[in-house]
Amino acid sequence: MIIVKDLKRCYGTGSTAVKALKGVSFEINKGEFVAIMGASGSGKTTLLRILALLDDATDGEYTIRGLKVSSLPESERSYYRLTQVGYIFQDYALINEMSAAENVYMLSMMEGRSKKESYATALEALDKVGLKGKHDRVPDELSGGEKQRVAIARAIAKKPDILFADEPCANLDTINSTQVLDVFKELNEKYGQTIVMVTHEPWHTDYVDRVITFKDGSLLSDEKQNQKVKLSSLGYGSCSTVINK
Amino acid sequence: MIDDIRVGSLIAYCSVKRGNKKTLIFIVFVLSLIFLNLVFLPSMIGGLSGLFTGFMQDYPYGDIVIEPTGDNTYINNADNVLKKVRAVEGVRAATKRVDVGASINHKQKVVGVTITGMLPIEEYDISRYPYIISEGDFLGDLSRDEIIIGAMIAGTGFGSEIYDNLGEVRPGALVDVTYSNGVKRTYKVKGIMEGTFEVVDLNALVHYKEIEDVYGLEGKEATSVVVRVSEQGTETFMKDKIREAGVNEQIFTWADKSESLIRQALQSMGAIDTMSKIVSLIVGAALVLIIIYINVLNRKKEIGILKAVGITPRSIVLSYAFLSTFYVCLGISAGLILYFTLMFYFQANPVVFYETMKISPTIDPVLLIQSIATMLTLSVIAGILPAWSVSKESILKAIWGR
Ligand SMILES: Nc1ncnc2c1ncn2[C@@H]1O[C@H](COP(=O)(O)OP(=O)(O)OP(=O)(O)O)[C@@H](O)[C@H]1O
Ligand SMILES: [Mg+2]
Repeated sequence: MIIVKDLKRCYGTGSTAVKALKGVSFEINKGEFVAIMGASGSGKTTLLRILALLDDATDGEYTIRGLKVSSLPESERSYYRLTQVGYIFQDYALINEMSAAENVYMLSMMEGRSKKESYATALEALDKVGLKGKHDRVPDELSGGEKQRVAIARAIAKKPDILFADEPCANLDTINSTQVLDVFKELNEKYGQTIVMVTHEPWHTDYVDRVITFKDGSLLSDEKQNQKVKLSSLGYGSCSTVINK
Repeated sequence: MIDDIRVGSLIAYCSVKRGNKKTLIFIVFVLSLIFLNLVFLPSMIGGLSGLFTGFMQDYPYGDIVIEPTGDNTYINNADNVLKKVRAVEGVRAATKRVDVGASINHKQKVVGVTITGMLPIEEYDISRYPYIISEGDFLGDLSRDEIIIGAMIAGTGFGSEIYDNLGEVRPGALVDVTYSNGVKRTYKVKGIMEGTFEVVDLNALVHYKEIEDVYGLEGKEATSVVVRVSEQGTETFMKDKIREAGVNEQIFTWADKSESLIRQALQSMGAIDTMSKIVSLIVGAALVLIIIYINVLNRKKEIGILKAVGITPRSIVLSYAFLSTFYVCLGISAGLILYFTLMFYFQANPVVFYETMKISPTIDPVLLIQSIATMLTLSVIAGILPAWSVSKESILKAIWGR
């Protein structure tokens, strides 16, 4: 569903130019849960931002479901971000003055749905990530893990083709990280959500199907993974009971 | 577009509802001061020119003034004009005057003045001249070798320091007058008039008969016929009625006159008024822009996030337009409260100049509406411009600053 061909990204020009991506090519199939790993500065964030249309590649080709998104005009890219792509930031990136529900349903409203419908969609998404009953809280009244789950709800409420997450657990402790990963796992297994997640933690790879490793802006390895964590064994249903205590 | 408006207003609503209330109060307070600045001084100046137009009615022009047509020095048959005017219904009183140029000489001091020849008894119903005699008495019907001089040229009143004066002339003193045609007369000062207004206090009054004599008139000429009407506010209507009664000379209402006169005599005042308006506008515009701009810069990251998750730039810009319009509306409301409080205070306690000139500000609805419209326009621009420029930036730059 995603095809990346010889993607390059260069920051700056002349002698100070940094080649963050030196021509990477790979494909991601529908329903895959992919982890992107690699040392700091190897170009993971750079890649993810380009894939989520937050940044432009310097060179190369990038298609989602056959659509060549690298050459879309800005207005269409904006629409694409709104409807097809979910992006989860390391630092949650919630609007602090909006409640959990408002953060989520603002996007459905942007898509032209009625307020009522949008609200219902938002509640559904918040339920999915285990935040039932907390939709009226503002970010300041939520824990880091809860905030990140609001951000996930915001990203999945629009039922995007692909979900991108850049170190979604970097600011979280193990318990909160597990909750977030469980949510991803469930989305991936139950709803067939395609997920591309950047991470540093080796134990996160237990959740994914495939690990792509970067080194200095190039692909180092691309390996299938045996998912060691099974939804049935951990599940996030059990997790949400922990959360709600 | 409708979705943009809906989302824009949701963002604006949330940021007002959950935003920092202290910041909101501060912004509104500053905006209210900007508004006050826009309307307060013009209101005071409005009060000042109101005071001056009052002078115009009370002294040189009455409610309606009739003047010679074309190049004529005199209304040649003023008595005839008077007869016609007095017959018009709604005219309370009318009189004729002759203004001439002269110089007054007292103990080697000389000042140039306009001397008005008038019929003293009739003036009681026309002007306030008879009532502003600070020393001595007003002219009588039989006054011939007598003169009333203004306090500023007498050298006794306020403003004497500024103008040439005769050096403390008191009633009973003798002064020599040289008229513009060279004729010399000696008069006894009968009284000093003090209207705390240059047009009055720099002049002198004598009996009409004196001017008639000096200039060899036939007793019917006048440089102006001054009319007072029974009901204030009917001047324009009465002006037409007088014209219909067959008066062919130029007819002005006091408002016609003071408009041009205020524009001339109070040019500096008008300039100050306009300048203060322009300055407050520029300062106000800059402040509104700065306040909203800082507000937008503080939320640069938020704007980047909104864009990154797919909110259209148009909704973002709209949300700031709504937000700043909301701030400015609150600011205007607070400003209006401040304004009316000040207005009522100053109307109850007028500012006093020259001990007698009381200036109470006038509330000018047109000015208020103008200022409100200006502030609102500014707020929309101030909201849109910075938000627009930030929303044009790349997402990376807005969120991560590079
Ligand atoms: N805006 C930028 N301007 C210049 N250089 C940049 C910019 N963003 C990233 N870089 C450089 O590009 C390279 C790749 O950065 P990137 O953020 O993609 O790394 P990363 O793999 O995500 O690292 P980390 O694990 O630390 O997040 C780095 O050398 C970085 O310094
Ligand atoms: Mg990174």
